[in-house]
Amino acid sequence: MSHPIIHTTGICKSFGDHQALAPLDLEVGSGQIVGLLGPNGAGKTTLLRMLTGITKPDEGTLRMWGQPHHRDLLSRMGYLPEERGLYKSMRVAEQVLYFAALRGMERKDAEHELRGWLERLEVEGWWNREVADLSKGMAQKIQFIATVLHRPELLILDEPFSGLDPINAALVRGEMLRLVQQEGTTLLLSTHDMGSVEALCDDVVMLHQGNKVLAGATDEVRESARKGRVFLRLRGNMMAFAAELGARAELLTKVTEGEGSAAVHEVELALPDAWPMPGFLQWAVGHVEILEARPVKLSMEDVFVQTVASASS
Amino acid sequence: MTPLLHPLGTIVRREFVTRVRRRAFLVATLLMPLLMVGFVAAVVLLTQSAEEEAKVWVVDHDGLLTVPTDVGPFVPRCPSCYPERSMLSYRFGREVKSKEELERDGFTCMLEFDEGVVQSEKMQLLQLTPPSGRSRRAMERDMGQALERLKVREQPELDYDVYLSLKTDVSIVVMDYETGEKQGDAKAMVGFFMGIFMCLFVLVYGMHIMRGVIEEKSNRIVEVVLSTVRPRQLLAGKIVGIGLVGMAQMLAWVLLSWVLFLLLGLGVEQSDWMESWAQTQGLSADAVDFQTVLSSQEDLAFLLDIQWPVMLGCGVLYFVLGFGLYGAFFATIGAMVEQESDAQYLMIPVMLPLTFSYILAIQSIDAPESWLSVVSSFIPFSAPISMMVRLPMGVPWWHVAVSLGILAATTWCLVLLAGRVYRVAILMYGKKPGWREVWRWMVRPDAGAL
Repeated sequence: MSHPIIHTTGICKSFGDHQALAPLDLEVGSGQIVGLLGPNGAGKTTLLRMLTGITKPDEGTLRMWGQPHHRDLLSRMGYLPEERGLYKSMRVAEQVLYFAALRGMERKDAEHELRGWLERLEVEGWWNREVADLSKGMAQKIQFIATVLHRPELLILDEPFSGLDPINAALVRGEMLRLVQQEGTTLLLSTHDMGSVEALCDDVVMLHQGNKVLAGATDEVRESARKGRVFLRLRGNMMAFAAELGARAELLTKVTEGEGSAAVHEVELALPDAWPMPGFLQWAVGHVEILEARPVKLSMEDVFVQTVASASS
Repeated sequence: MTPLLHPLGTIVRREFVTRVRRRAFLVATLLMPLLMVGFVAAVVLLTQSAEEEAKVWVVDHDGLLTVPTDVGPFVPRCPSCYPERSMLSYRFGREVKSKEELERDGFTCMLEFDEGVVQSEKMQLLQLTPPSGRSRRAMERDMGQALERLKVREQPELDYDVYLSLKTDVSIVVMDYETGEKQGDAKAMVGFFMGIFMCLFVLVYGMHIMRGVIEEKSNRIVEVVLSTVRPRQLLAGKIVGIGLVGMAQMLAWVLLSWVLFLLLGLGVEQSDWMESWAQTQGLSADAVDFQTVLSSQEDLAFLLDIQWPVMLGCGVLYFVLGFGLYGAFFATIGAMVEQESDAQYLMIPVMLPLTFSYILAIQSIDAPESWLSVVSSFIPFSAPISMMVRLPMGVPWWHVAVSLGILAATTWCLVLLAGRVYRVAILMYGKKPGWREVWRWMVRPDAGAL
């Protein structure tokens, strides 16, 4: 039986009187891409630092690959922190090879891997380039290479796309997917870029003020956060329809095209749990002409805002 | 790389290589020995070869110093009072020469001698070109001797040779009671300079450590490194790596200076200057070498009496331990701030003992065995400098052993405590830690990394 790559039970961390992370249970399986979400100060970096051995939890159990966490396991991880830099006095290859050496990689292997990565990220000519001459985006690619060069089984990436233009972000995203799909790498992705979360993550975990406020498969999370939202395109007397609807459902948005009886309205409604979509549509066709009806799928950004607002209140 | 050396060796190598290849390091390493050897060469060569010859016209108004000859000018009564020198020569007469006459005849100055000088023992030198200090001292010696001879001659009952055999000049040569080694202020100066070098090295390379830590913290690379290595490994790697840079520079200076001294010696020995120098010293050119030249220089001869292997060996040990002690401090300060300007107020506790040691070192030149010098050579913060000042004068071996032992133990404890502060402070951004917080990190060893 394969163990989860990350398994935490009640791990927490405080700095003085401030509780940065409340007791947290978390499980990340092999080959998964998990999004770690949360507003600033939610405790994400604290969690990542514990996973990467930079700090120790105050309490709780942290197991990696089925074993109690210890330093020997760190070489199986690659960590790209949100705030990252490079040694300005070194050259690109020298820098990446230094990190590879720190992780115990043989120099020959590291050089071979580095050549491949420079080619894949379309920066073949950078081997001897001074780090001080690199732009932020360029440095970002080198940092990414330094993180993945030693073929880690677990990749922990904190805002990996910040500073990258859309073309390079897509290039890096493609490489991340390749690592997961072809090499079975597990990916824990901490980001505020909700588009990337939707595109990449199988599961998401959301923290707010040190507490876990949301967790699950990305699609399920978006579906459950939908809370009976439906989109309707209809023709008819909108005033009368809204009056009939009354307090039974919440009218969220409304756009009208045309005038009089020919006017077409696009509305978004939030239906209560007790009134599922089929029943509602049966009721609605008796009042207006339904041109289009579909459930609304919330974006991860909507889920994020909604969850934070709800947790804060 | 063995597991013990990994990743420490990797960190040490990076710290070392990225520093020694900097242009500033290479320039400083090559330039310093050139300056040192150039200084010695300047003392040896310039003071002699570049010296203007003093040609003196001595006006013997009353005929006290000279006698006339049938064939030419006056000759001295005491020829041996005016030895042949390449840089100084005398001609005697009874007439005062005008400036134009002096210039025409090639004289650089004129000395007047009469009965008044015998009484006052003061002579007037009228110069066209100022004589060098050495020539002036030689003139004083020559004229003093001539005057002495004159006075003795006036005492019929006193024989000059007997007088000379009785005349005694006493000079005190200080020697160590046990070892019989010669002591002197110049030796203490060697210790002082080594101590000051030590102080400078600790300060300069300590600042390198601090800047390195601040660079890693401010550009946030430290988080990546700490996800791979323990904070104390990173700290140790940095101190050892930068310490090795300092030692490499010292070693390069010693080796380059030695090679340059050898080359200078060879150059001097094969030059025409050596032959003329040997002649002026009344020696055979084949019998003298560069060492003879050095030992003839009052200002440099003490260099040959110093026990250099002991000095350099102890210098390395005190540097290693002293650098570890102060390096841990500098690293901790670097970890507590995000930019160098914030580090200034934190550096006061480090600068104080260094400054105190420097002041003590100055005081120790005059009194290397005073109780203050002895005590400070046992206090770990001042020992690397104070002991280096005492060493050339001869120090009991157990003083050195105890001093090194105390220093090693203190360094070990402080590196441990500094490591505890470092591992927490290096990841703190925004808020500057207070001293109370620092104390808590020191005494709570369980805080920190995995």
